Amino acid sequence: MKGNFILLLVYAVLVITAAEWIGFQTISIGSISITLLPLVFAILITMFLAIKVFRVGFMKKIYSKENVGFASKYLIFIMLPLMARYGADVAPQIKDILQVGWVFIIQELGNLGTVLIGLPIAVWIGLRREAIGATLGIGREGELAYISEKYTLESKEGRGILSLYIIGTLFGALFFSIFAPILLDMGLRPEALAMAAGVGSSSMMTGASSTLVARLPEMESTILSYAAASQLLTSFLGTFTMIFLAVPLQQFMYKLLVRGDR
Amino acid sequence: MEKGLNQYVKYALVLLLSVGLILFTQELKVLKYPNSTPITGMTIAGLASLWLFSMIGIGISNLLSKSKISFIRNFPILGWVSITSLIMCLLFDFFVTAIQAVDFLSITTPILTFAGISVADRLVDLRKTSWKVAIVAVFVFVGTYVGSALLAQFGLMIAGK
Repeated sequence: MKGNFILLLVYAVLVITAAEWIGFQTISIGSISITLLPLVFAILITMFLAIKVFRVGFMKKIYSKENVGFASKYLIFIMLPLMARYGADVAPQIKDILQVGWVFIIQELGNLGTVLIGLPIAVWIGLRREAIGATLGIGREGELAYISEKYTLESKEGRGILSLYIIGTLFGALFFSIFAPILLDMGLRPEALAMAAGVGSSSMMTGASSTLVARLPEMESTILSYAAASQLLTSFLGTFTMIFLAVPLQQFMYKLLVRGDR
Repeated sequence: MEKGLNQYVKYALVLLLSVGLILFTQELKVLKYPNSTPITGMTIAGLASLWLFSMIGIGISNLLSKSKISFIRNFPILGWVSITSLIMCLLFDFFVTAIQAVDFLSITTPILTFAGISVADRLVDLRKTSWKVAIVAVFVFVGTYVGSALLAQFGLMIAGK
């Protein structure tokens, strides 16, 4: 097991080297340009090589149960230095941030967009009780806890949120790192996109804010501080927004949308 | 979270691995893009600060894990670390200078590498998810992001910023 662990470290170093060597890549489609960062390549390489077909020989040892278990158990700790870095980004900008503090609070309400846009689509393509779980939020731990307490995870609602949780874990950071600059090209302000990046999941926030920084390096401190402050606010207010706003709104809209069923 | 001093040694080593990989990544970046953030004594001081604030955050979270108020008990470690770092950086400018000598994007690559490895065994779960939820997921992510961005844009406009 010890030997396998060393293999894991060597593997991580090699993946990082490969990802950094590929570096920044820009793909242009019309007026929209998609920036791919090393972090995107890192997650693509590690996920692609995890496919069962490749798990032979030493690759099987790298992706051993213990090693994958180590990565998922300690991922949050590996992320901590990033969280500490955000403190240093917010501190110099704290006056600026407090000045527009109410804007930060208002944009939290934008998280209701999951219900407002997601629920009609979900019902339209034929989902029913699964839609409750799949559109309450972006499917992170807070909502998972709420749904499992109210409906249990074996229920249809539970299956809805579990699916969203899996998809978000696998593709969330990837999605936001591509989507954020698209909105930038559509004319939204980087400050607004940075604030919005605090969606409640650290890896998704990192995905969104990193590509914005790569596109606008001169605005790095503003982007990172706005994203971090908003993320911190989401971890304070997220539960309240969910229970007092998202849940009632969802119940109301759900009744309205499925009325025609019977 | 597990108890005991041993556990803290483990956290300390994992964090050391994390900041070590950040340093390695920053070195690679300097090799590939000579104009990127250089590695100086400040970078090392910055990495040490990141390590220290992470440890303090873990300590606070552990101490408060027995709190009677569930909101405090459940507040994520990630949040405690950010708050610790924010307070320290507000108090001492040195920490800001040191931490900003650590290249931001170099922090992200190692994390996403481990994030990719951590989901390796969950790739099979994708089969359990329906394509319908996958479509909905796109709109859910778009909904929260666009919703927040539009409100923020509107708010900033009113604030005259």
